[in-house]
Amino acid sequence: MPRLSGDLIVAVCRTLPLGLLGAAGGTGLLMAGLSRTTGEAGEWLALPLLRVAILAFAMGLVFLLDDPARHTTATVPTPRPVRIALRVALVVPVAAAWWTAALLLVPRDLRPPGADITLEAAAAFALAVSAAAVAVRRSDLTRPGPRLAAGLLTSAMLVLLFWPGRWALLVPVEDERWAAAHDRWAVVLAGAVVVGVLGAVEPLRRWYWRMVPGR
Amino acid sequence: MTPTVSASGLSLRYGGTRALDDVSLRLSGGVTGLLGPNGAGKTTLLRVLATALPADRGAFTVLGHDPGTARGRQEVRRRLGYLPQTPGFHPDFTAFEFVDYVAILKEMTDRAARHREVRRVLDEVGLADVRGKRIRKLSGGMRQRVALGAALVGDPGFLVLDEPTVGLDPEQRMRFREFIAGAGEGRTVLLSTHQTEDVAMLCHRVLVMAGGRVRFEGTPAELTARAAGHVWSSTERDPGAKAGWRTGTGSFRNVGDPPAGADLLEPTLEDGYLLTLEGAGAEVAA
Repeated sequence: MPRLSGDLIVAVCRTLPLGLLGAAGGTGLLMAGLSRTTGEAGEWLALPLLRVAILAFAMGLVFLLDDPARHTTATVPTPRPVRIALRVALVVPVAAAWWTAALLLVPRDLRPPGADITLEAAAAFALAVSAAAVAVRRSDLTRPGPRLAAGLLTSAMLVLLFWPGRWALLVPVEDERWAAAHDRWAVVLAGAVVVGVLGAVEPLRRWYWRMVPGR
Repeated sequence: MTPTVSASGLSLRYGGTRALDDVSLRLSGGVTGLLGPNGAGKTTLLRVLATALPADRGAFTVLGHDPGTARGRQEVRRRLGYLPQTPGFHPDFTAFEFVDYVAILKEMTDRAARHREVRRVLDEVGLADVRGKRIRKLSGGMRQRVALGAALVGDPGFLVLDEPTVGLDPEQRMRFREFIAGAGEGRTVLLSTHQTEDVAMLCHRVLVMAGGRVRFEGTPAELTARAAGHVWSSTERDPGAKAGWRTGTGSFRNVGDPPAGADLLEPTLEDGYLLTLEGAGAEVAA
């Protein structure tokens, strides 16, 4: 069992990309706060702005596992899942506080249903961190964040433009598919958590050759 | 004597490239040099033995522990120091803070004892005077020594060093050799390098790799002896030589099968290494 100490928590905390998270969070809060200044348009703009805010913070979270010292610390006995879990645990309260602030910035009468939009945010954040975990497992990159951020932004655009209507995720509150969309968001969240956990595990065997029989 | 590392049949592929091909070896105390050209599989072998990369096939033990199980890998990592080819750092950390960070990750929980150990390794690698300096402000050679300090912290029984002298000037390289020689006392060190002088000066054993396979395993003297009677001097480039180059005196130094009456020269470790590679190249081509 790995030994968690206060020193470990402080040391890992110092390696977090706090500047990038701060910039992403600030941009997100700015987006969320814009709904206060949009007058009558705020009625239909509040939800898209909140979603843009979620995307902005998620783009900060993809940098969570960037670690320039990754190769130097590749073979320490503190297992990678523990180090990843610690980083995630340290950022969860920050994300929760940020999300609360973002929600409060949206005027009460324009605010979408709290539980549902929180589910969207949780799924987006989990997707971001899971993508980072998979990138760490599947590559030797010390800083996969920039590529992941570009990928996340592109994916968001593609979902917005081409996602099939019958599996809609990004629907307005008054849309009759709102409830079904949030069932799907729950699936996305669960899937992201599973992928993230699998991505965090350090394999004892490479699975590449098993996928290529005869090699 | 029980070997520190015992490996058999290690194989690993990257796509269609065989990076390791049925590698078996045994390492015991002292410094063992790992020579080979680019793409020989040196770094892959080091990463596998350091548990940074799992092999496709084969098995090995380090200090009696099998890294093929989660528990075994953790036990190996508790006894291992690893200096990667391109060590990275948190540049805002000081040298002390960074080595301390690695010591924390190496499960050294007693702060006072850990700080003593960090100071000890920084002294050992000659960074006592700059331990409070941020890594971003250190020279390349000093950073390399910070990484060596991080590998040495916790007094590991098995030390894996991947080309630690690359990019260092001759003076820095000399100092580094001194550190590595010291590190090899009482522990097993596996040192990958392109520098045959490093091996000649530091190592009691040497492995030569090419094409993912170990082509030679023995002492530096044995590798040198391989070239005895196969190095000669000539005034013109000898087309029959397997390798040859013009020396500073204007004559040509040739390695291979000498013609009758050739002016034979005393071989060096590099000659033995080149001859081994030439043999491996012919084998691969066949």
